Amino acid sequence: MISSMPPGLIMFLGSFLIPLFPHFFRQIYMILLIVISAFSLTSGHGTHLIINTMGIDFIIFHSDNLSFPFAVVFHIAAFLTIIYGIHNRDWRENVAITSYAGAAIAALHAGDLFTLFVWWEATALTSVFLILGGKSLRSYRSAIRYIIIQVGSGMLLLSGAIILFHTNNEALFQNFSIETTPGLLIFLAFGIKAAFPFLNGWLQDSYPEASEVGTVALSAFTTKLAIYALARSFAGVEILILIGALMTFFPIFFAVIENDLRRVLTYSLNNQLGFMVVAVGIGSELAINGAVAHAFAHILYKGLLFMSMGAVLYRVGTCKASELGGLFKHMPITAICSIVGAISISAFPLFSGFVAKSLIMSSLGYEGLTFIYFMLLFASAGVLHHSGIKIPFFAFFAHESGLKPKEAPLNMIIAMIISALLCIFIGIFPSLFYQILPYEVNYQPYDFSHVLSQLQLLTFAAFAFICLWHFKIYPPELNSTVLNSDWFYRKMIPGVLKPVIFGIQNLNNNLTNFMLIIFNNFRKFTNNIMFNNKVFDRETGFDTLIVVQLFGLILFILMFIHFV
Amino acid sequence: MGFIKNFGKANSIVLFICIILLLLEFAGDRHGETDLEELLFFPAIFGFVSCIIIFKVGVALRSIFMRDEDYYDK
Repeated sequence: MISSMPPGLIMFLGSFLIPLFPHFFRQIYMILLIVISAFSLTSGHGTHLIINTMGIDFIIFHSDNLSFPFAVVFHIAAFLTIIYGIHNRDWRENVAITSYAGAAIAALHAGDLFTLFVWWEATALTSVFLILGGKSLRSYRSAIRYIIIQVGSGMLLLSGAIILFHTNNEALFQNFSIETTPGLLIFLAFGIKAAFPFLNGWLQDSYPEASEVGTVALSAFTTKLAIYALARSFAGVEILILIGALMTFFPIFFAVIENDLRRVLTYSLNNQLGFMVVAVGIGSELAINGAVAHAFAHILYKGLLFMSMGAVLYRVGTCKASELGGLFKHMPITAICSIVGAISISAFPLFSGFVAKSLIMSSLGYEGLTFIYFMLLFASAGVLHHSGIKIPFFAFFAHESGLKPKEAPLNMIIAMIISALLCIFIGIFPSLFYQILPYEVNYQPYDFSHVLSQLQLLTFAAFAFICLWHFKIYPPELNSTVLNSDWFYRKMIPGVLKPVIFGIQNLNNNLTNFMLIIFNNFRKFTNNIMFNNKVFDRETGFDTLIVVQLFGLILFILMFIHFV
Repeated sequence: MGFIKNFGKANSIVLFICIILLLLEFAGDRHGETDLEELLFFPAIFGFVSCIIIFKVGVALRSIFMRDEDYYDK
């Protein structure tokens, strides 16, 4: 019975009972929901639940070798987020995290676009409460922008689904061509959530505004759900290679400038999504394996990095590089976990990033995509710079900030250590990790040539940073805002629209005043005739006067039309 | 010892590792996904130069994309 229930649904529905439990039992209840949901994964591959309503087949529970690895890592991420947030007594955030994770897991198992749409929007509506959890005016405004964009993505998906259903009498969640209208709409819907170039502003805008726990949850689900959706529907679509390459390329420069370390991580997230999108665009079995492996590993090490920065935020109250430094002495475990996350994301051998990213780089090599290969190699050096070095260095080393915080709470440490161990485990035992991937893997990441090349690339990139820092060429971090693509709708469009709206308002006011002047003068004129000159030789009520005036006006207009 | 004192112990260790990695180039057959990668010390040079370029471009972009912290709140 439980195994035929779609994974995630029990988490989504069960989350609404969370407020009924006291804090301690609430934590146990949430973990229990995740365990029950995970049990549904034992159902095996195939279609397990279809509900027919209004002549539409809603495929609620479909599982295959693509959805399975995502479902596994989503459950792990949900579990780690719950552990990480045990100290948080805000039940609203607990509800949001559990329902959000549940919706994302359920979306993975949707077999048709209408079911996908329901869960797609559910992830948007639940996750917005995590941004509101930042409890500031900035987070409130950011949450409003976030929900508009996310719901907009859902509307595009729904539009595509409706057109498809109208044409084919079904809207299965399968391969689409971007040369058709529904295919293009669905592609854009996925592209918004995958943070394509110029559609990525919401990511850097909103994620850093959430609470320390909220950001960890946000980093895991929405964007990876989009990668899964792209892999299912647009594998092998060549434009994705270019889009993905741009995604890996540009965020690295913005991450260098950015001062808020959680926002640096969102640029890094965008860059990592680029690797996955490139792999989906290649579409070969090796590349799809690479995209899935990278998404899996990424959820763990990016979650770990967000956890470590969240711990710093929780203890210090800020994540700005300009205000941090020297925290290693006071938060050594957090610092070590952060370094493990940094090494993993940089793809050093023996860590998860290496065994995942190697699949993508090799698939580029096999396909002969040399230019894109070097773009991604360049981006790999960038990852080392902003996530591998900048994050741990400016938070825990660099200069002495004078801050003396306590180590992170025990629950945070446990979540970080589990994540760190998983990053190392995947890196050391890639053959076990590869077994979960959609296609059979005949790939050995650890050979002399590959390991040496990667170590040379990363170590010399690190040495370049050391030289820049040691010789005081690296400029100090500054409190600032870095302009991103959200500037278009936060500044430019309001900047253009404001004068237009004010102009229309002024015109409206002037016209109203002009009409009032005409009306008053006309009334004075008729008053004069009627009362002072006593035309009708009797008192006339004001209502009658208005009627006469209107009548006169209509007559005047009719005459005007007739003669002109 | 004077160099290590000036350059810092941790930095010197990284430099030492870099030298070892360059020497390892002669210990086995390093090959890449492309012909260009098979040039001597290619990954090392590429990594070093990439990091410098990223830094330089990043700093240059400060003047274009960097605004006051309360830019959006004004």
